[in-house]
Amino acid sequence: MAANGLIPQKKEGGVLLKAEDISLSFGGVKALSNVSFEVHEHQVLAIIGPNGAGKSSMLNCINGFYHPQEGRITYKGVTRKQMKPHDAAAQGIARTFQNIALFKGMNTLDNIMTGRNLKMKRNFLLQALYLGPALKEELEHREFVENIIDFLEIEHIRKTPVGKLPYGLQKRVELGRALAAEPDMLLLDEPMAGMNLEEKQDMCRYILDVNDEFGTTIVLIEHDMGVVMDISDHVVVLDYGRKIADGPPEEVRTNQDVIDAYLGVSHD
Amino acid sequence: MFYREAGQFKTGYAADQAIFPILQDRLFVIAVLAFAFVVVPLTANDYWFQAILTPFLVYALTALGLNILTGYAGQISLGTGGFMAVGAYSFYKLTTGFPEMNLIVAFLIAGCFSAAVGVVFGLPSLRIKGFYLAVATLAAQFFLVWLFNKVGWFYNYNPSGTIDAPPREMFGVLVTGAAAKPAVKYLAALSMLTVFALLTKNLVRSAVGRSWMAIRDMDIAAEIIGIRPLRTKLLAFAISSFVVGIAGAELFALHLGSVETIAFDVTLSFNILFMIIIGGLGSVMGSIMGAAFLVLMPIALTNLLVGGFGMQATSAKHLEFMVLGALIIFFLIVEPHGLARLWQIAKDKLRLWPFPH
Repeated sequence: MAANGLIPQKKEGGVLLKAEDISLSFGGVKALSNVSFEVHEHQVLAIIGPNGAGKSSMLNCINGFYHPQEGRITYKGVTRKQMKPHDAAAQGIARTFQNIALFKGMNTLDNIMTGRNLKMKRNFLLQALYLGPALKEELEHREFVENIIDFLEIEHIRKTPVGKLPYGLQKRVELGRALAAEPDMLLLDEPMAGMNLEEKQDMCRYILDVNDEFGTTIVLIEHDMGVVMDISDHVVVLDYGRKIADGPPEEVRTNQDVIDAYLGVSHD
Repeated sequence: MFYREAGQFKTGYAADQAIFPILQDRLFVIAVLAFAFVVVPLTANDYWFQAILTPFLVYALTALGLNILTGYAGQISLGTGGFMAVGAYSFYKLTTGFPEMNLIVAFLIAGCFSAAVGVVFGLPSLRIKGFYLAVATLAAQFFLVWLFNKVGWFYNYNPSGTIDAPPREMFGVLVTGAAAKPAVKYLAALSMLTVFALLTKNLVRSAVGRSWMAIRDMDIAAEIIGIRPLRTKLLAFAISSFVVGIAGAELFALHLGSVETIAFDVTLSFNILFMIIIGGLGSVMGSIMGAAFLVLMPIALTNLLVGGFGMQATSAKHLEFMVLGALIIFFLIVEPHGLARLWQIAKDKLRLWPFPH
């Protein structure tokens, strides 16, 4: 995305999320130590690092699934020590998982509809009657979800149980479920793992489109350096739970620490 | 060949989300309901009503209730018998304590009591899952049955320890009690099953149902989407126990007429669990089919063995157990997702028949 001359350089907003001195340990194992970084609005931020560097733990801290022992996370100007996943979701943080975490017993449509769950307010008695306000609500959300289905080009698998779908499509449905919540910040944990080139290109296109069209801030973990260097505005590098680099892709690419720790040899 | 949806176009999401989107299915269901509500009451005899149809409807409702909890929300429960007992004893206390109470109100309040008890015993579900939860719900089963046995107030200090359904009227017709007509009891059970099957189907295709299934399939992902696990699970326990409680009241007031706590022992809980496993977890249709299988199959077998082959009743009973067991294993091997899935596959095949693809 960086500089092909055709696309105007996009404007990044203020700080959306600020992590300060995050330390997380499980017993004697230190998953994260003193990690600090900032995510700006409308940014695509990539977190990279070798296996076990603490990337997924970092995402889990951001959306309240792990509670760091030390440090603060400031999101939308509110500093918090601890947060429940539900609160994170209510404040507009959505995510996808490294190992697909779809609801296997439901079809594509219902999976994405669950993403609308927080927006559906009618109580269960009305839902049991499936009349009036409950039906109206259901149909409104269905329409929203159909737009996502349209956007992700998965119309043909709308009614297919997700367990039967190939891997690449499951990843796409999971992205759809996260998008259904209309998040301000989208956490993607290895969205392109195990995909072939074509699927990766599609996924990159969706991520950039989401970023462009909805202005969603994106934090992603990815191992494919080509993808990371291509689509991200900012890269944070973790190694053994410590942050070793933080900057624009071009800068990180040439950082000696990063090369030593992770890339091994220069990619030129 | 006639089961085709060709030419049936849907122009709105409401039509697409209908319970039976295919016209032939709708006609079939209407025909079945018409048959059950009109033809059966006019033609069946008392034996059919009392020994076959009413118990089938009552167990179908119970299975439906348990399926909400186990099939949709993924929480295994072995407390079904206990929750049925709560429904039955509440109904007894209500109808004897307030003889003027409308029967529908009595059934609903009995269900509410059962729901409240269900919520209490559902509390451990936040921490424990799977088989461990099943064991925890066994506590409900044994405690509740013990309670109703021990505390005389629940059975109005009847020296025999049984409770008898008092004769109560509805719209001027006797519905409960020994003197009520079997056909009336059948119709009452049928109406309630129809209503609750519809309400359950609506629930499971709405946001509540989706959050139940989300918790069942992947609780961590559900939580991160913003579904509150405790609230969702407790709602499942409440609604499931509500339906199961009403079914318990039915078992007492419409089917057996006179019960002791032994009627609600753990065997009943297991039977209901088998019904939904055989019928299909997470399926309204499966609950009804599973109940049909476990209620009707033994009777059909007995009739065949004793009536057809002239066997002795006792040996027929033993053989019946064996055949039933073998059938259960057979069905579970052929289709682990139950009769409902088998039915679905048959329908999908029928849509293409006589072409293979």
